[in-house]
Formats: sequence, C-alpha cells, structure tokens
Amino acid sequence: MGHRVDHEYDYLFKIVLIGDSGVGKSNILSMFTRNEFCLESKSTIGVEFATRTLQVDGKTVKAQIWDTAGQERYRAITSAYYRGAVGALLVYDITKRQTFDNVQRWLRELRDHADSNIVIMMAGNKSDLKHLRAVQEEDGHALAEKEGLSFLETSALEGTNIEKAFQTILTEIYHIISKKALAAQEAAATSTVPGQGTTINVADASGNTSKGCCST
Amino acid sequence: MLKKGKLKLPDGLGILVPGFDHKEEENGGSEPIFESGEELEIMEPNGVELGRKENEYEFDDLGVNDRVGDKVDAFRTRKRPDKDRSGQVSVMDVIAADERRSDLEYEFSQKEINLEKVKRIASMGVPDGVGLRATAWKLLLCYLSPSRNAWEKELTENRQKYAKLKEELLLSPSAYTRVRADAMISAELSREGDVAGPLKRQGISHGDHPLSVGKASAWDHYFKHTEIAEQIDRDLQRTHPDMKFFSGKSSFSKKNREAMRNILLLFAKLNPAICYVQGMNEVLAPIFYVFSTDTDEQNALNAEADSFSCFVRLLSDSVDHFCQQLDNSPVGILSTLSRLAKLLKENDEELWKHLEFTTQVKPQFYAFRWITLLLSQEFNFQSILRIWDSLLSNPFGVQDMLLRICCAMLLCMKSRLLSGDFAANLRLLQHYPDINIEHLLRVAQDLNADTSSYSLSM
Repeated sequence: MGHRVDHEYDYLFKIVLIGDSGVGKSNILSMFTRNEFCLESKSTIGVEFATRTLQVDGKTVKAQIWDTAGQERYRAITSAYYRGAVGALLVYDITKRQTFDNVQRWLRELRDHADSNIVIMMAGNKSDLKHLRAVQEEDGHALAEKEGLSFLETSALEGTNIEKAFQTILTEIYHIISKKALAAQEAAATSTVPGQGTTINVADASGNTSKGCCST
Repeated sequence: MLKKGKLKLPDGLGILVPGFDHKEEENGGSEPIFESGEELEIMEPNGVELGRKENEYEFDDLGVNDRVGDKVDAFRTRKRPDKDRSGQVSVMDVIAADERRSDLEYEFSQKEINLEKVKRIASMGVPDGVGLRATAWKLLLCYLSPSRNAWEKELTENRQKYAKLKEELLLSPSAYTRVRADAMISAELSREGDVAGPLKRQGISHGDHPLSVGKASAWDHYFKHTEIAEQIDRDLQRTHPDMKFFSGKSSFSKKNREAMRNILLLFAKLNPAICYVQGMNEVLAPIFYVFSTDTDEQNALNAEADSFSCFVRLLSDSVDHFCQQLDNSPVGILSTLSRLAKLLKENDEELWKHLEFTTQVKPQFYAFRWITLLLSQEFNFQSILRIWDSLLSNPFGVQDMLLRICCAMLLCMKSRLLSGDFAANLRLLQHYPDINIEHLLRVAQDLNADTSSYSLSM
C-alpha cells in the first residue's frame, strides 16, 4: 500500500474479500462500492479492486477492497494481496455447507499470509435464499465465537447487512488504530519506530481532508 | 436480466472520457471494419460509462450466421461521430475485408493450402459471418493439415477419438461398467460355463463400492470428478453472461454449456496435474463459439470434438500459466509477467517507471488475467475474436503476440496512466475501456522488440 496518497481521507484501510468460489464475493463488493448486484457476473480471475470512502466515527475512511478468486490455484498469487491488509471479510454461502466447512481453511490461509492482527468478519451470504438454507445461523454464530470473529448473515442481492458488515470491520479497525496511536503517544519517549506492521500501513496512509470524497 | 451495465461503473476516481485518451496516436489509426462504436451512445453525460452493454444486442442471436452480417452493417451506421472523420477509410476497410474474404475463400479451395498466406491474411482480421474463421483457426492451430484432401479423414478420425475418450472418461463408473458389462455379457454368453463362482454384478469389484474410501476406488475418482464438474458448471453459468449463445435458460445455450462442460472435464481428466482452473472456460468460449457457428453444418455439429482438440493445442504453449507449481519457474506466470514489464520498459521507460515505482501498479494486479485468459475477458466478444485472429496467426507464436498486445494496451492508455494514482490506474487496467482494436493491434505489431531472440531467449 505504499502508493501515493490522494489526500481525500483520514485513513486508508485495505480489506480483502475471501471465501470459496461462487459464494458471492464479487457481488458483495459491487453492492458495497457501487450499489449494484449482477446475477450473472463473471468469475473473478486473479484479483479485482474497488474503493469506497465512508465515515467511521466522524473520520473519513477510504476502504480499499481486494476481491480475490476463490479457487485454490489463485491463492499462491493472491498471497501477495494480503500484504498490508488490515481487515478481511470471509464469506461463505448459507446454501452450500461445503463453503462453510471450508471457513477453517480460509482462516488458516489468513494466519499464514496476513498480518496476525487482521480484523476478520465472517459473512454467511445469500441469506435471501431461505428455502435453500444448508447452514443454520446458530452454526455461524458458534463458529464465529469459537474463532473470535465478528459474524453477520448477508444478502448481496437484497443489500442486507452489506453496509453493516463493512462498517463493523472498519469501525473495529479504526478503534484498534486509535487505541494504538494513543498507546504510542503515551509511550512516545521510549521509541520513535512503531513495532507493528499493521500500524505502519495504516498510519502512513493517513492524510488530510482537503478534497471531497471520491466515490458513491 | 439484472446485469445491465454492471461491470464497469467507475465511481468517479478513474475513468474520464471513455473514448481515446491518446488522440495523437488515434489519428494515425484507420477505421476498423467491425468496430462496435455504439457504446458511446450509452454514456452518461458525466462521463460515467454504463458498462459492456454492447454485447447485449450485438450477439442476441448468434448462431444464426446469416444475420451476423446484417448486424455488423447496423454497427457501421452507428459509429461514433468523432471517429467517423473519414468515411472513405471505412469504405476502404470494407473493400479490404471483402478482399480478405475472397482471398481466404480462394486459399481454402486449393488442394495445398499456403499456410503462410493464410497467416498473413488472418493477421489483418478474418471477415466475420461467412464461416471462414473456423477453418482459418483450425489451420492456424494445425488441427487441419494444409492438404485439403486429408481433411475429411483427419476430422473423422479425430471426432471418433474424441467420442471414445468421452465414453471412457466421462461416464460414471456404474454407467461405464454397465456399458462394458453389456458388451461382456454378450461375450460371456457365447463362452458358457467358462467361469465358475459368483456372478459378476456390473463389473464392480468388492473394493469398488460407492461407499469405499480407498484412494484407488473408481468412485473416489468419480466424486472428485463431480466436484470439478460443479466448479465448471458454476463458471460456465458465468461465461459471457450477456450472450444468449452461452447464457440463459434456453435449450440452445444449455446444449452449448453441456458441450463446453464435456470439453473442460475431459481436459481436466487427461491433465490431472493441472486439472480444471477457473478461466479455462473463458479461453474455450471463443473457439467453441466460432466452431459452432461454422456455416458448414457438419462442422458445426462436430464443434465439441473439434473444439476439444483445438483447445488443447491452444493451451499447449501457455498451460503452465495455469499451474501453481510452476509459478516461480521460467515457464510460469510470474516470469511471463516480468517479460511484459521488460517489454514495456524497452518501449516506454517513462510509463514503466510510473507504473512500477511511482504508483506501484504491478503487472500481477492487472496482467495476470490478461495473460492467462489470452485477453478473453477484457474486450467485447467481437473484439476478442479479432484479437485472436492476430494471436493465432502470429509467426512468432501466440505468446509473443499476446505480450505485444498487453504492452500496447498500456501504451494506448499512457496519458491516463501517467496522470493516475494507484487506485485510478488499477481500476483503468482492470476494466479496460473500449478502444479501436485495429489501432491497438497496429501498436502491438510496431513495438520495438526483437521478437525472434526474445521468444528464443525465454
């Protein structure tokens, strides 16, 4: 994330979207960043990228979201995409048990490639397809609790909880950041170099708010 | 459909005017014959582009060949005004295309076809709608030999081979053994009392029950096969969702998807080290479409078998890009990506620096898909076919031309890229704007690269 800052926001947070193929990651992304749902979108090859700027606790936060391909082959390449990510939305499909069973594999993937402090939200997507439900909401809650993740059931098609899912992640990240900043201030005399990778990434992205926000 | 214009809505950061940021380069370009310029008409006044809408009517009823030409004519009348600056050029292009058509027709009627000549003509674009492209591609992929008299025999043999492979590899174990058992029973009946002991039940051994978990179990393979089949089906549903040929509930599109599914499954089975990788569906689509819409009925009916062979041939020099184990090897995708960076550096160091260092837009963020899918997801379908004419007819091979075009895609967006930041540039390159394809191909062709040593050294 060491690219040029365009000074339109206070913070820039990189979020990755992960989960099995076909669970609806790309539609969650397009719903969140463009308010669009596409019933027959193309499969994602490699990685796709979108941004949206929004308010979190009175601060302007630019969310830079990376949508990755679901298939195993693309993970080797995508591991580079985890670099600098401070949040992850781990998506499964409530109508496909297998995609829920694979959540553990994705968590392992995050542990291997992402920063250990990454904020993870698990999303059981396609909640509109109630008649096809194969994963109970309680099962989602139980797993989330066990793994220490936030959890929501979402529907990209109906727009349910999409906003809330990202807001939750971004707010949580922001709180961690501000807490760390505070702690750093208090310990200012002891060290000038922050120790955590995450903090650096986020801190060097903060700029001033001179222009208006750039996205819907 | 919900999808109108969903693919390319920029949120104001990036795409400005989706025409040509490189007017100075454009001026040299002549009008492409089959350019679909209508997309400008669906622009919002604020410059927001409504996506790849053109395909929605462009290919409404493809498969009916004689109508394609009409549609193309309709396009011509709808050209964007700013590019219609010289009607004469268009007329000349029409004449040139017609010349290529008659040249190819003549060439294909010869006993011994001059492949070099076919390459030369095809590199300028195979005319649409008259069934020439299918034959041209089959020749360019060496699926058909230059001896016309051998075609019938070659095709028959290949199609039979395909049918046999399909029977052996794509039926479920019980279905397959049932077929085999039927054959066996009739054979055994003639040798009565030969074998004592229990009756064979459809040839399934005790170790090969559906509930058996043994690794060598035919059922184990079959279940794995089912998993792959599901992935393929998911992707086929999402292959050119804007074209009725591939998408929708019609029996026509279902039949097409089924044929493509067979091809991809069979490829996966025959290449277990690579199996099926998402995106292969996109690579197969142009081939299968072109062969299915061949005006020769017999060829169209056998599109599945022919597409399989040509798909294998096409992938033969780029299949390593799909293979994770080879990512860091000299034949893997990362090495190809760095070749692209090198090519850009050689041709435009300023742009290369800007992308590589100033904005840090790495090739793996955008060109990974360009290269693995042979650009089959970046343009409208008609443009993809045109680009593939050039890829397949390039004397230095598909990969050489592919990298040239990728590099040209960057050069053609130079001014926008130079003024863009990371986000804007990435968005621009991941949603590449509509562009004059003939111009793009000319830039690619004129690139400064010693292609012979270039491809040899790699």
